[in-house]
Amino acid sequence: MKGDKKYIVAFLAPALLLISTFVYYPFLKSLYLSFYRTSGFFDKKFVGLDNYKRMFTDDLLGAATLHTLEIMLYTIVFQVGIALVLAVMVDNISKGKQFFRTVFFFPIVISGAAISLLFVLIYNYQFGMLNNAIAGLGLEKVLWLSETGSLKAVAVPTVWHYVGFYFILFLTAMSKIPADFYEAAKLEGISGIKKTTMLTIPLILSDIKVVLILAITGTLKVFDFVWILSRGQNGTEVLGTYMYKKALVDQNFGYGSTIAIYIVVFGLILSIITNRLLKREEITY
Amino acid sequence: MLKKKSTTALAALSMAAVLALTACGSNGNNGNSGASNGGASASPAPTTSTAPTEAPAKDVSLRVFSTFGGTDAAREAFQKLLDDFSAKYPNVKIDNDVMSANDDGFRTKVNSDMNSGNEPDLLFYFVGADAKGFVDAGKVVPLNSLLDEDAEWKNGFIPSALESVKQPDGNIYAAPLTGFYEGLFVNKAIFEKYNLELPTDWDKLTKAVKTLSENKIIPLAAPFDQSHYVIEHSVLAASGSEGQKAGLLNGISPEWELGIGKLKELGDLGAFPKDAATIDLTMAANYYSQGLAAMVLEGSWAIGGMADAVKSTSTVLPFPAIPGGKGTGKDVVGGFGSGFYLSKATYDNADKKDAAVQLLKFLTSKDAIKAVATANGGTPAADVQIDGLPQVALDGFKMVADSTSVNSPIDSYLSPETFTTIRQNIQGVVKGEKTAKQALEAAEKIEKANKQ
Repeated sequence: MKGDKKYIVAFLAPALLLISTFVYYPFLKSLYLSFYRTSGFFDKKFVGLDNYKRMFTDDLLGAATLHTLEIMLYTIVFQVGIALVLAVMVDNISKGKQFFRTVFFFPIVISGAAISLLFVLIYNYQFGMLNNAIAGLGLEKVLWLSETGSLKAVAVPTVWHYVGFYFILFLTAMSKIPADFYEAAKLEGISGIKKTTMLTIPLILSDIKVVLILAITGTLKVFDFVWILSRGQNGTEVLGTYMYKKALVDQNFGYGSTIAIYIVVFGLILSIITNRLLKREEITY
Repeated sequence: MLKKKSTTALAALSMAAVLALTACGSNGNNGNSGASNGGASASPAPTTSTAPTEAPAKDVSLRVFSTFGGTDAAREAFQKLLDDFSAKYPNVKIDNDVMSANDDGFRTKVNSDMNSGNEPDLLFYFVGADAKGFVDAGKVVPLNSLLDEDAEWKNGFIPSALESVKQPDGNIYAAPLTGFYEGLFVNKAIFEKYNLELPTDWDKLTKAVKTLSENKIIPLAAPFDQSHYVIEHSVLAASGSEGQKAGLLNGISPEWELGIGKLKELGDLGAFPKDAATIDLTMAANYYSQGLAAMVLEGSWAIGGMADAVKSTSTVLPFPAIPGGKGTGKDVVGGFGSGFYLSKATYDNADKKDAAVQLLKFLTSKDAIKAVATANGGTPAADVQIDGLPQVALDGFKMVADSTSVNSPIDSYLSPETFTTIRQNIQGVVKGEKTAKQALEAAEKIEKANKQ
């Protein structure tokens, strides 16, 4: 045991160093800055709790929170839902598993910014792909990024981009289910939908829980799609873009850091709630 | 033994992770669906007549940060200048670090570089309020004595250009290259098609907007979020040269309110694109440059990106004076708003100093200024004749020459957050959800909190 100690330290040190540099230090620095009024990079003044007072009366932050929650809903229902359906289907086919796995996983490889630019060209009102097709059919052009529909339009690529990631997680989880479970089910005459709902899904519940927490906390980080597609206009401002605007566009790092703290606390609360709601005994095979 | 090996491997892996993370930090946004780049290739080689002085023997590597990248019209001309310098002084290795100026990202990059001890050796950036932070912090050196020591270099500049890059403390920190102007770019062909007069006064502008919008042409390509130019010009056209400097610390001037309020009138007539809320400046400029929009508020740098057909039928006018305001109708936004800074750290580094000063002088020599001005259509900071410019660029120079005042944009009198607050409210004002007064009051509150 004693001899292991230095190896434990050696193995943990790099990770600790990295996580301290890139997670804990910025977090503490944000906490520190949230008590200051900053203007630019060179001036700052201690203002106590002013930024927090402002936070609680900030309508835009409230709106950004609601928009984030709306995207979260789409993510949970569609991103996780579609991923689960796809995983069940691919798990049940005998040929071409590898092919579909690659195809569905592929969007993850493309950067969010590239996908966003792609969707800029798809949604554009003047010469976007969708409106060109509609105009070709002789119909009136549609304003896709309208005041009411922008958030849904932005949610589409957001959902699509990460479906493949959860799909792979589900598929891996399913492949871990021992084959004799299915054999037993076959002998009992259970197949099709019943097999999925009664057997597969209950057996991967702990993975579903992980995926849900990943999806929920991941939504708090949505930035590129909103920033590039709609610049946070027309009711699409989310927490990530609002923080960026305050901290980096407005160069008000103090208030930007306060929002960052808010996001962290909000994310923690959400994951605790999710954990509570999905509390169930772990299944071991 | 095996264990030791894996520790090394792990260390290597973590190093790789650090590198990957660092790489993430410096991604430019060159991927914008930008306008095609027409006029950049026609830059003549700057003929360097001065005999090369004794080159510093040591190998030096210099990082030059500028916005001559992405879709910038002067990108190739600038690269060529650097290549010429490298050819002349093979011992100097130049890292041409560029970021597109299409977004505010480069400001963030410059500010964080300057603040974190990662200053580029030469920096091309704005003067005035934007530079106040790093100038006051002593990150760059005043060029006054360098200019005085080298008469040939100093006399290459137009005196007024050097005057306008002075910081409030009276020192020159940035050597100017080209100036800019902003104005209302008008596609004359579209105006002729619908028998419209050019928008030289407010009535003609509103009449044109009405007719064009009825005919499904975008009258004025302008985004709401990046409404920098719209705000600058409407406030200038309403409050005149002196009034626009008022800022928001001493109450809201009625002319500012008038100017912002007039945007609702334009919006009601259908002046803005249907998707104005979500497009960015690049897309707005794109609508104009593709002939989908009849007018756009832009800067002189936009000329290089216009499609040839549109460029040849374009002209540029001052934004018309708003009735009831104090503008003359000939007030123009423009000046020499940027230049090359020399970092203090480089200047104090004996190995780099001479090469950096030499490069600075080379990049702001008469020939270099000519090459860049030819490419981007900006006003040269040196007394040089630019040939082969399109008519619209000549119209622009004439507009500036005939103007009653040349003004810095109003955001140089406001803190960034204040200006963003106005921008954020433009959509509400145009849609009638907010009055101009409410928008300006929101901005005033931020401005006062910032100046406490």
